[in-house]
Amino acid sequence: MRLAERAGFRLEARSEISARGRIAAVAASLAAAIILCAILFLAVGVNPVAAFQSLIQGAFGTWRAATETLVKATPLIFTGLATAVAFRARLWNIGAEGQVFAGAMFAYWCQSALPGTSPFLQLSVIIVAAMIGGALYAGLAAILKISFRVDEVISTVMLNYIIVYALSLLLLKGPWSEAGGFFEQTAKVDPGSILPVLLGGTRLHLGFVVALVAAALAWIMIKRTPVGYEIRAAGSNLRALEVQGSDSRRVILMVLLISGALAGLAGMSEVYGVHYRLKAGAISTYGYTGIIVAILGQLNPLGVVIAAILFGALVNGATFMQIKTGVPSALIYAIEAIILLFYLAGWAASSFRLRRIRP
Amino acid sequence: MTSAIPRLVVRRLSKRFGALTANDDISLTINPGELHCLLGENGAGKSTFSACLYGLLQPDAGEIEIDGVPVELTSPARAIASGVGMVHQHFVLVPSFTVLENIVVGTGSDLRLDMAAARARILELSRGFGLELSPEHLVADLSVGEKQWVEIVKALYLGASLLILDEPTAVLTPQESERLFAVIAQLKAAGISVILITHKMNEVMRSDRVSVLRKGKLVGTVRTADVTRDDLTMMMVGRPVAQVRARAMEVRGDAALRIEGITLAKGDRTYLSGIDLELAAGEILGIAGVAGNGQDELLEAIAGLAKPDRGRILLLGEDLQGLSVHDIARRGVGYVPSDRFRDGLISEFTIAENLILGQQWDRRWRSGPFLDEAATVRRARDAIRDFSIMASGSEMVAGKLSGGNAQKIILAREFDKARHLLLCNQPTRGVDIGVIEFVHREILRKREEGSAILLVSEELEDIFALSDRIAVMFRGEIMGVFPGKSADIAKIGPLMAGHRAEAAA
Repeated sequence: MRLAERAGFRLEARSEISARGRIAAVAASLAAAIILCAILFLAVGVNPVAAFQSLIQGAFGTWRAATETLVKATPLIFTGLATAVAFRARLWNIGAEGQVFAGAMFAYWCQSALPGTSPFLQLSVIIVAAMIGGALYAGLAAILKISFRVDEVISTVMLNYIIVYALSLLLLKGPWSEAGGFFEQTAKVDPGSILPVLLGGTRLHLGFVVALVAAALAWIMIKRTPVGYEIRAAGSNLRALEVQGSDSRRVILMVLLISGALAGLAGMSEVYGVHYRLKAGAISTYGYTGIIVAILGQLNPLGVVIAAILFGALVNGATFMQIKTGVPSALIYAIEAIILLFYLAGWAASSFRLRRIRP
Repeated sequence: MTSAIPRLVVRRLSKRFGALTANDDISLTINPGELHCLLGENGAGKSTFSACLYGLLQPDAGEIEIDGVPVELTSPARAIASGVGMVHQHFVLVPSFTVLENIVVGTGSDLRLDMAAARARILELSRGFGLELSPEHLVADLSVGEKQWVEIVKALYLGASLLILDEPTAVLTPQESERLFAVIAQLKAAGISVILITHKMNEVMRSDRVSVLRKGKLVGTVRTADVTRDDLTMMMVGRPVAQVRARAMEVRGDAALRIEGITLAKGDRTYLSGIDLELAAGEILGIAGVAGNGQDELLEAIAGLAKPDRGRILLLGEDLQGLSVHDIARRGVGYVPSDRFRDGLISEFTIAENLILGQQWDRRWRSGPFLDEAATVRRARDAIRDFSIMASGSEMVAGKLSGGNAQKIILAREFDKARHLLLCNQPTRGVDIGVIEFVHREILRKREEGSAILLVSEELEDIFALSDRIAVMFRGEIMGVFPGKSADIAKIGPLMAGHRAEAAA
């Protein structure tokens, strides 16, 4: 501040922020993020132009690559939505990760009881069961918060650990371990329960459509329904909502149930759309990346879809980039983080203006 | 004020925020040693104007001259260098620093600071103006009034010859206010000009001249001796303001609300102990008392927000025990909370959304699973019209409204709910004269519609003007109940301080 004033400038809060200014600021900050990434590439001895080229080529270069990006984006749309709904209500659900597991596990448990039945029945069951599983697991955090005032950040993170180990136990020694298998995974699921591929020659499956529908419904819910009204109200002033006669405990429970249900769908989508078996590797990390996706998407369902596709592209393109240029794939996580930080900085910066004052 | 150069000349100053013109072509002159009052309703542009003078905001147009020299006040530092000092409503002091440290912090342009010299100067200044400040005291240990003195001395220490006081008495007791005016008299004698921002009329009347702002424009500058309070109110509001007074009215029927021995304790503190009250339909019961004597808890207990430990609350004969806030509201109870932005409104929501707060599941505002936007917007338009809410439209966000207009949204919503009982907590706190009159009229109209009204206010004027009966609360107990007509401050004052009524009517 002082430094800027010495140089004859001053930082002032803008009273009104134009959409154009905001877009410009965010674009500029993303450009800066790309420059920093380029420096990182240089540091590991890779030509940044070639690296970015292969990244984009890997993400969108071919029809197959583009659909693969959407495949990668699908679970992130679900977890991004889950996080966005909760964060909108200022409920810091960090447990999408665990809720993804819960959704996948409950869907698997229900579906495995119905081998050989009609695909329509099996698909209906896995979708509904995944939502219930995720919702119930998030509901645990809600009950802890309502009854014992346990901070949801703590409880959801702890629940994440519990369920990862629970799945491991079930797969290792439990009833779900694949007969005769070495790996911690189930056997292949019944073909009738697999989410159909949408386009021949690709892996793009029905889960992507479900994700888009979920995003549209979430958008309508937040904007147009009493539930969304309560979510937004809770995010702004829960106390006023309570004084005016809405039960805040009900709102907390409701928000976390919805959030968990959305996260649960991500688990179902990966298990039945991509891997065709339940294993930890198929469903982990989406919950945490979903937090970044939700924030990049401004906690707006449509923004979440865009951010998820961006991250899907990043993950997808990274594999190709790694093969082509030898960049360590760990760098991709650094890139994700750089993009998030610069984006947030750009967004914050657009709320201010630098004003020339006389030195 | 003869040939002297004016302390401050402002010519054609304008400041816009987007579409809103906060200051529109304002010109005024302030003389040395003058106490000049800036008067206006909330949102009239007083704060913007003073922020421009103190360099916190830059005007879009206009010139400022101090002691005959044109100045560009681009920052508070430059304003201070030009001799402008400001004491904000909320003090900017470091509690863990001493008075001396608070005053000198940030003043040294050099690396070294001559503390001994600073101390001597501070003592000289405070003695000179009749302030009893000890430089070694910690600011945390000072009373509110003394903290204000520190702010004043700090401004003087920085060389202020023009001192802006922003609602300085809002935080002071009456005695402290008197001391402040004594200090101001000393400042004037020393040739220091004071701009006083206030909307308390008795303070305005002690100034030399008054400049009245309305909707960003300067209505006029007048010599205080030449005008009456009514003249100034008229200038400020733009129309005459009538004193609203309750007409005597026959109280009809049985008790709408009956409170039987309710007791409420949290931890080891008792908020309500054995309260009995009865309130008829069409009756206003005013509750007088110093804030924090259980008034909030009483209203919260009736509204269902707090559960009494003992006793019963009956609305039209029905026991409210075990009913939720929502159930109670649905039985025709409206509740105007005292802290409107904490309890009554969601500042990020639009006017239309705020008007259905708590009723978002109501059939009236829904079509199928969706909120009926047409219905809520229609409702908002009606409320904006009926309660003359100054807003750009039903989609304006509540957080951008002035205190008075925000209060009107709550009134519109709660009056609509209050078919049988209206609970009003501090309905006129922090709102302008014009709005106070409006609130009084609306409360009386509600009474004529037959609602029972429980009115809690720290403003005894509210209580005296409106109440059919007045109850005085002290430490969670009712000290006495009087008919409104016979009550006066002499009768009620001692009860507010904890003396029990001898022969309460």
